[in-house]
Amino acid sequence: MAVRRIGLLTLAVLLLAGNAQATEPRQFDYMLNCQGCHLPDGSGNPGRSVPAFPGQLGKFLGVPGGREYLVQVPGSALSGLSDEALAGVLNWMLARFDARHLPADFKPYTGVEVRQWRGAVPADVETTRNRLLQRITEQEQRSGNPDR
Amino acid sequence: MTIRWFDEATQLLTRRVARGTSRRGFLGGLGTLLVGAGATTLLPVFRGGAFAQSSTALQESGDPNSCEYWRHCAIDGFLCGCCGGSSSSCPPGTVRSDITWIGTCRNPTDGKDYVISYNDCCGKSNCGRCVCQRDQGDTPLYRPQSSNDLNWCSGSQADMPYHCSLSVVIGVKE
Repeated sequence: MAVRRIGLLTLAVLLLAGNAQATEPRQFDYMLNCQGCHLPDGSGNPGRSVPAFPGQLGKFLGVPGGREYLVQVPGSALSGLSDEALAGVLNWMLARFDARHLPADFKPYTGVEVRQWRGAVPADVETTRNRLLQRITEQEQRSGNPDR
Repeated sequence: MTIRWFDEATQLLTRRVARGTSRRGFLGGLGTLLVGAGATTLLPVFRGGAFAQSSTALQESGDPNSCEYWRHCAIDGFLCGCCGGSSSSCPPGTVRSDITWIGTCRNPTDGKDYVISYNDCCGKSNCGRCVCQRDQGDTPLYRPQSSNDLNWCSGSQADMPYHCSLSVVIGVKE
């Protein structure tokens, strides 16, 4: 009986220890700067202009202008994150939410390129977005595989 | 011949069982089983994990229904704990908005910074009890990413009146 009691105690302690783990720093930044609207699973609220990440985010890297665009959307460019931290969060999001669509030659974002793109945001983000989505669609039609 | 051997074996076994057990012993065992099954649920096993909140490891102090409670450091609204829910679950009849304001609060007990999600509960009119406005880290509306003056009930999937606010721990900074 005593042995079993000790076993239970050990189990409880182990469970507690597992829970106390610190949040991964880039996820921490995602929580504080993005998750409020984009939600823990990145599904967002497409009906209210909060795009979903899964199934879409990585595709932007496959067309010209897409890599810049992910830095220049208002949520990225205007966030309180430093250039390095923003690069880290974007890399984390791509791996976490849409690793399936990452190009094979994907190079992680760096703070330097983020700084350069962040300072030159297009005046009409909506138009830029629609043009990129158009390019993505065209590319998928050409490769004949709509959901690669 | 075979039958006789079978008879003897049965007799031997039966007698041995009869010598080794007693009817009172059986009743005693049955009684222990009946009482024991009921008593198992009374054992002092830690059941923190049985609740929806995953913050069982948290060392903390304070009253969740008081505005001074550490988790409410950036809240702006009515505390759901005073409205029929708790600081991490919505009162019956309301829906939790998924879109939310997220900030950090320092837990005075262990000195760590925790990520707190201030989800609104929606679906009934203003709760009106335990109003709490602490606004730590709140920014003006022209920086909407860090402003807590927004009503998260309109705009999220729970598109209905605001009732009260939660303070849910969702992460911790090392």
